[in-house]
Amino acid sequence: MEAYRQEIILGAIVLYMALCVTIGLWSMGRTRNAGDFFIAGRSLGPIVVSLAVFASTLSGFGFVGGPGLVYSVGVSSFWMVVISATAFGLGFFLVAKRIRMIAELRGCMSIPDVIAARYGSELARLLVAITIVLGVLGYLATQILAMSVVMQAILADTEMFADISLLGCVVLSSTVLVFYCVTGGVIASVYTDVLQGLVMMVAGFLILITAMQAFDGGLREASEIVLADDSESMMPFGAAGIVTSVGWFFVFGIGLAGQPHIVTKMMMNKKLADNRAVLPLSLLGYIVSALLWISIGLVMRAAVVGGGAEPLAQPDDAASTFLAMFANPLLAGIVFAALFAAIMSTSDAFLNIGAAAIIHDIPRALRNRPVNNELFWARVVTVILAVVAAGFALFSYYRDATLVALLGAFGWSTFAASLFPVLAIGLNWKRATTAGAVAAVTSALLINFVVQLAGITLPWGISGGLAAFVTSLVLFFAVSFATPQPKLAWDIDRMMDI
Amino acid sequence: MDRTLVAVIFAVVLAMAALLLLIGFAEAPANAAGVSHAEIAAMQAGGDGAARLETVGGYAFAFHSLLLLFTILLCVLSVNRAKRTSVFLGWMALTFAVNMLVWRQIYWQHQVFLESGETGWLLGFPTATAWQIYGIWFAGVLLIAVYSAGFRRYVLSEEDERRFEELLQEFRESRE
Repeated sequence: MEAYRQEIILGAIVLYMALCVTIGLWSMGRTRNAGDFFIAGRSLGPIVVSLAVFASTLSGFGFVGGPGLVYSVGVSSFWMVVISATAFGLGFFLVAKRIRMIAELRGCMSIPDVIAARYGSELARLLVAITIVLGVLGYLATQILAMSVVMQAILADTEMFADISLLGCVVLSSTVLVFYCVTGGVIASVYTDVLQGLVMMVAGFLILITAMQAFDGGLREASEIVLADDSESMMPFGAAGIVTSVGWFFVFGIGLAGQPHIVTKMMMNKKLADNRAVLPLSLLGYIVSALLWISIGLVMRAAVVGGGAEPLAQPDDAASTFLAMFANPLLAGIVFAALFAAIMSTSDAFLNIGAAAIIHDIPRALRNRPVNNELFWARVVTVILAVVAAGFALFSYYRDATLVALLGAFGWSTFAASLFPVLAIGLNWKRATTAGAVAAVTSALLINFVVQLAGITLPWGISGGLAAFVTSLVLFFAVSFATPQPKLAWDIDRMMDI
Repeated sequence: MDRTLVAVIFAVVLAMAALLLLIGFAEAPANAAGVSHAEIAAMQAGGDGAARLETVGGYAFAFHSLLLLFTILLCVLSVNRAKRTSVFLGWMALTFAVNMLVWRQIYWQHQVFLESGETGWLLGFPTATAWQIYGIWFAGVLLIAVYSAGFRRYVLSEEDERRFEELLQEFRESRE
C-alpha cells in the first residue's frame, strides 16, 4: 500500500471533491430564490445545522495552523481549543434564539439585515456589511492559498502533474468550490458541510489514535519529552505566556458569537426548539475534530526536540510531516480530504455571506432597495469574489504578502471585536443604541487596521484583536449609556421580551 | 433588574480594560511572550516561568476571573427576566464556581510546579495542563447542559413559541 501512497491520497481528495460537485448539482434544483441561496429558506434540520455550525468554525487553520502553533509555542494554543464548550454555550445563549426569531419576523437573509432590523439603522447595516466584505476577502485569500499550496505539494509527487503551477492549483481547487457555491448557494454549502464535518470527525478521531501510538509511552511520553526540553511549553500557559493565553481564550471564546459565517447558520434551522439539540451536537463534532490540532502538534514538537525528527522548516509543516512519518496512506488520504473539507467548509460560508453583503446589504443601505434579480446577481458576485480572492492569494504568494496580511487581520478577531457587542449583546439589551453600535464597529476596525498597518507589537503578547475587542466593548456600553434611549420598532421590542 | 445587571457587566468590562492597561504598562521580562528556542528554528520556548508571572501573574489571574464572570453574566442577560428563577441563578452560580475552581487549579498547580520542579500526571498531561484540557471543557459542558436540559424552562418555553407565533401573525397583518 505504501508504494501507492500518493495515488491513494490523490484518490481520496478526488473522491471528496466529486462528492462536493454532486451535492452542488443536487442543490441547484432546490435553490429557487435569494432566500434559498442565502439562508436555505430556514428549512434545515438539527443534524445538518449542527454539522454546518462546527464545520464552519474549524477552518484550514485548525488543520494546518493549529498543529503548527502547538509545535511553535506549545500548550499556549490549547486555549483556543479548550474554550470551545464555553464558546458554543455562550454563543447559543446570546444569539441562537433571537437571530432565528428576527430572521423569520423580518425575513432577514444576512447579519447586516439583522443589524438593520435591530437598530433601525442603515448606517449600522452599511458598516457591518463593509466589515464582512473586507473580512471575507482576507479569509478567502488565505484559505484559497492554503488549499492551493497543499494541492501543489500533493500533485508534485505524482508523475502526471509533477510540474503543475500554483496558478493551476488555484484554478483547480477554486473551481470545485465556486461550482457548488454558485449552483446550490447555501443549500450546497450546508450539505457539503455535512460531508465535510463527517470527514473531519473521522480524521480527528483516527489521528488521535495514531498520535497515541507514535511513542511507546503514548501521549504521556510525548509530554514528558516536551516538559524536559522547556517546561513552560508543556505547562498551561505554554511558551507564549499567560497574557497571550488568556487573550486567546477571550478572543476565540467570547468572539465566536460574533463570527458572521457561524451565526448565519443559526438563522437556518426549521424549528426554534431544535437549538437545544444543535448546541451539544455542534460541540461534539468540534471536539472530536479538534483532537487532531492538539495531538499532531504535541507529537511533532516531542519528535523534534527528542531528536526523532528533523526540525521543521516552518511550523505549518507539522501536519504534513506527521502524516508522512506516522500515518498509513489510507489515513493520510482521509486527513488530506479532511483538510480540504475544513478549508472549503469555511470558504463556502464566506463566499455566501460576502455575496449577501455585496448584492443584498450594501445596495439596501445606500439606495434603500435591493438589486433586481438577487439570485442571478448572487451567483455572479460569488464568482467575482472568488476570482478577486484568488487574485489576492496569488499576488500575496508571488509579489507582496502585505495586502493579504492586512485583509487577513480582518479575520476572527476583527469580527469578534466589531460584531460581538453589536450583535450578541445588542440582541439581548434594549438600551443598546445605534451610536454605541457604530462606535464599537468603527473602533474595532480602526484599531485592527492601525496595529496591522503600523506593525505595532504590544507588550506581553497582547494582540491587536484583544485590545480592539476590549475597547469596542467599553465604547459600546459607554456610548449607549451616554446617548438617549432608543425607541425600538414594536415588533423588535416584543421579540426581545420573549 | 436588567439595568443593574448591565451596569455590573459594564463594570466588569471596565475592570478588564483597566487590568489590560496595567499589564500593558508593566515592565516585561525578555521572555514575556516567549523567546526563540535555543537550538530549533521556528520554535519558541517559555524560559523562566516564575520571572514572567512575578510581574503580571496576579493581574492576569484577575483578568481571566473577570472574563469568566462576564461570560456567566451575559448568559443570565440572555434569559428572559421572568425565567431567571432562583434555580436558574443557582445553576449559573454553580457553573461560575466550577469555572473558577478549574482556573484556580490551573494557576495554582502551575505555581506548585514552578516552586518544586515536580508535577503529577493525569491522562497523559502534567497536572496543571490536565486541569486546563479536561477541566475547561468540563466546565463549559455545564453551560451546555443548562442550555439543553433547561431549554424549555429557561430559553424557550412552549408558551414563548405561542407568543412568537402571535407576534408573527400580528406583524404580517400590520404589513398587509
